[in-house]
Amino acid sequence: MAAPKNFEEVLKRAKNPVDMLRNSQIGAYVYPVVPSEFSNWRSEQAAWRNTAVLFDQSHHMVDIYIEGPDALKLLSKLAINSFNNFPVNRAKQFVPCSYSGHVIGDGILFHLEQNKLVFVGRAPTANWIQFHAETGKYKVKIKKDDRSPGNPKGKAVNRISYRFQIQGPNAWKVIEKLNGGPVPEIKFFFMGTIKIGKKKVRALRHGMAGAPGLEVWGPYKDREEIRDAIVAAGEEFGLKQVGSRAYATNTLESGWIPSPLPAVYTDERMKKYRKWLPANSYEATGGLAGSFVSNNIEDYYVTPYEIGYGPFVKFDHDFIGREALEKIANKPHRQKVTFAWNSDDVDKIFASMFQPGQHYKYIDLPLSNYASASFDKITLKGKTVGASMFAGYSYNERSMLSLGIVDPDIKIGTEVTLVWGEENGGTKKVTVEPHKQLEVRAIVSPVPYSKVARETYAEGWRTTGKA
Amino acid sequence: MAHKNLEEAIRAAKSPVKMLRDSQIGPYAFPVVPSEFTNWRDEQRSWRETCALFDQSHHMTDLLVEGPDALRVFASLGVNTFDNFRVDTAKQFVACNHDGYVIGDAILFHLAPNRFNLVGRPPALNWVQYHVATGGYDAKFERDERSFVNKGQRKSYRYQVQGPNAAKVMQAATGKPMPDIKFFQMSTVDVGGCKVRALRHGMVGQPGWELFGPWAEADTVRNALLEAGAKFGIQRVGARTYPTSTLESGWIPSPLPAVYTGKEMQPYREWLAGTSYEAMASLGGSFVAKNIEDYYLTPYELGYGVFVRFDHEFVGRKALEKLAKKPSRKKVTLAWNGDDVRRTLGTLFSAGRTVAKYIDLPLANYATLPFDKIVKGGKTIGLSTYTGYSFNERSMLSLAVIDEKHAKPGTKVTLLWGEEGGGTSKPTVERHKQIKIRATVGPVPYGDTARTAYRPK
Repeated sequence: MAAPKNFEEVLKRAKNPVDMLRNSQIGAYVYPVVPSEFSNWRSEQAAWRNTAVLFDQSHHMVDIYIEGPDALKLLSKLAINSFNNFPVNRAKQFVPCSYSGHVIGDGILFHLEQNKLVFVGRAPTANWIQFHAETGKYKVKIKKDDRSPGNPKGKAVNRISYRFQIQGPNAWKVIEKLNGGPVPEIKFFFMGTIKIGKKKVRALRHGMAGAPGLEVWGPYKDREEIRDAIVAAGEEFGLKQVGSRAYATNTLESGWIPSPLPAVYTDERMKKYRKWLPANSYEATGGLAGSFVSNNIEDYYVTPYEIGYGPFVKFDHDFIGREALEKIANKPHRQKVTFAWNSDDVDKIFASMFQPGQHYKYIDLPLSNYASASFDKITLKGKTVGASMFAGYSYNERSMLSLGIVDPDIKIGTEVTLVWGEENGGTKKVTVEPHKQLEVRAIVSPVPYSKVARETYAEGWRTTGKA
Repeated sequence: MAHKNLEEAIRAAKSPVKMLRDSQIGPYAFPVVPSEFTNWRDEQRSWRETCALFDQSHHMTDLLVEGPDALRVFASLGVNTFDNFRVDTAKQFVACNHDGYVIGDAILFHLAPNRFNLVGRPPALNWVQYHVATGGYDAKFERDERSFVNKGQRKSYRYQVQGPNAAKVMQAATGKPMPDIKFFQMSTVDVGGCKVRALRHGMVGQPGWELFGPWAEADTVRNALLEAGAKFGIQRVGARTYPTSTLESGWIPSPLPAVYTGKEMQPYREWLAGTSYEAMASLGGSFVAKNIEDYYLTPYELGYGVFVRFDHEFVGRKALEKLAKKPSRKKVTLAWNGDDVRRTLGTLFSAGRTVAKYIDLPLANYATLPFDKIVKGGKTIGLSTYTGYSFNERSMLSLAVIDEKHAKPGTKVTLLWGEEGGGTSKPTVERHKQIKIRATVGPVPYGDTARTAYRPK
């Protein structure tokens, strides 16, 4: 049989997209190129809470540049976000939805210059933008810079830009030392410039881990010079470089869910897109993991309200999904929460590794996801009341944490059950060894979880949605 | 900051123990190969149940030595016999210092008349290179650095096909049964249209082969092996899993090179770069001695007694002749108590308490040279030098050298896990407390299959 020509053909052959994704052979979602640990992941996690860190985000995200007189028109048509008051040198968390009002993805959109923007994030949103730019009647040009390969096999890796974040309670001291003096106040998600070494670099005011920080970027060839300068300036402030093992776990404390399942598998209105999407796209090859099993792929979709993006939804413009969202805007929504896992139950999972016989699904530390999208069932008194969507360990909280959603009536503080592992010994995903399931007790907790983030992150977009 | 040479580095640090224990370099690197192809549990299972493909193209250094005196160099340094060391055979070359302590070991391939390749961690290779370079031999060397150091390409690929289905995979890949050759002998086979040198091996207790050839053919050969092996359950083994295979087969990859002391070794220390493995390596664990010589091991302790042959002159011979007659500590496998390991990991999940040193799974080494103290009845009775988890045995295992009277399988001992005083300044060491872990002495190799089928000759 000839290879499928596009994503739609892949889906047709698969019969049920749920089975296809749950048995994907692609392996774990890789955070490529960056060394797994610079020091050790415990100390690296502790550094973003106690001192300062350098995140190297140069490799794991797709960049798509959108340029032309219709750039804003196109992006506004795809986003739940308002584009009023979005001048050059601003950024926003861009969230596109399907016609049915379900999230396709999200990421950061930078307004670089007049009529020139770049979106940075996972593939589904970049693909969706590219599709509309190429097939719609917009005066735009796009340039896609794919993420670095998961396995470069020793060959050189090239990106258009490097992308670093300096974060943590001492971040601002590091930044001012680099700049050779005070940095003029930049508001959250506003862009400015700072000096690093001999270079003037662009910077986005950020605050990923609960304290003011910056994201800086520039030509990829400058990356080592910039990195060396940051590491040298950071030394006296305890700055640590964060490796790929610890990196993705920072969101467990700040509360962003990186991996909603893109709502593109169903709906006739999305068919044209599915035919356009290649057969080897993220959407066609990605993995779906966990104990939540439904025959209907739509049961894995989430709305922007459910994953904390309600404040971004603005009906001040026409956009795909608007009609559907208008209908549900005032209804109760499932809510985004953090699950704090019961230590004794986690202990039981590890203990099973040291006994003969069937063990529980291995919990890899510190990041425990075993596919590009995770859905573990959350139950209360035997009834499914939510899903856990991103799991790992926080050394700062000395706890396994996961991010997910629960029904509107579930209160913070409720003890629920998270079913860890897959049914019947596990699916065929290559990341899944034969195992048995365990019911893990978990406390429904706020987002962001960390006390520091909860108390000092008030101006952040993840809590107020000002971006 | 790097010093000019090892001798200067030691002088500046005052104590080699302190220098190594506070090294900032991290554990031994297994670069380039992805950390996991599937997941490390299934990857470990493959060498026990089906067939594993190890990619060894990156973590070892190659030293090619060529010339009429090449064999003479190796014979003057190796404890091994070189009688009857024919082309197309290999041996585990073990070099000692003048006092009979091991500097390092590596695999020595006799590729062609007067042409040898030595492959392994740097210490044995450095020692050989030093003698070729300074000993007035009619031989030259060419060094191909491991990928951690070498920012370019390697000269060769190096794979191993191991596990109960290895022979079937090789037959499918070459189109005929593998030549019936003995352990550590070589032949040339055809894989994917490429000429491949094959060393009969058996790293994990089953007949297996090590395959090597020019780097340009690396992808072709690997793809052919994977294609041929698909129906026999061949599994690529990632960098996280690979170094744990030795826990079941029992080779200790990381003896501390016995080069830091002794007047006779001083010219070598002055020759060794300040950036060499010996100067940069990190030493970790609960075994702390002021005297670096307390970390040195003899070939007898590492299980290489059978290699020592007094049929030729070699560095360390005199000392070894004396040691040969004395009782020696023995190499054993320690199986760690599951409840104690669970208790150790459990400290990660209690808020506000000091954690124990994290046990990373499946490879738990946090230094280039791990040395943990083994005690019994309040006395130090040995050293544990390499630690990790075996999914096949469902147990943490470590390779250790302990006093003969405690070396009987089944003996209960205690291992001290973690470093004193909250830990050294190595970047891999978070602040932690030490914890006692009970362990049971087991044989080497540990695995049932390995115990019965592993027959190095």
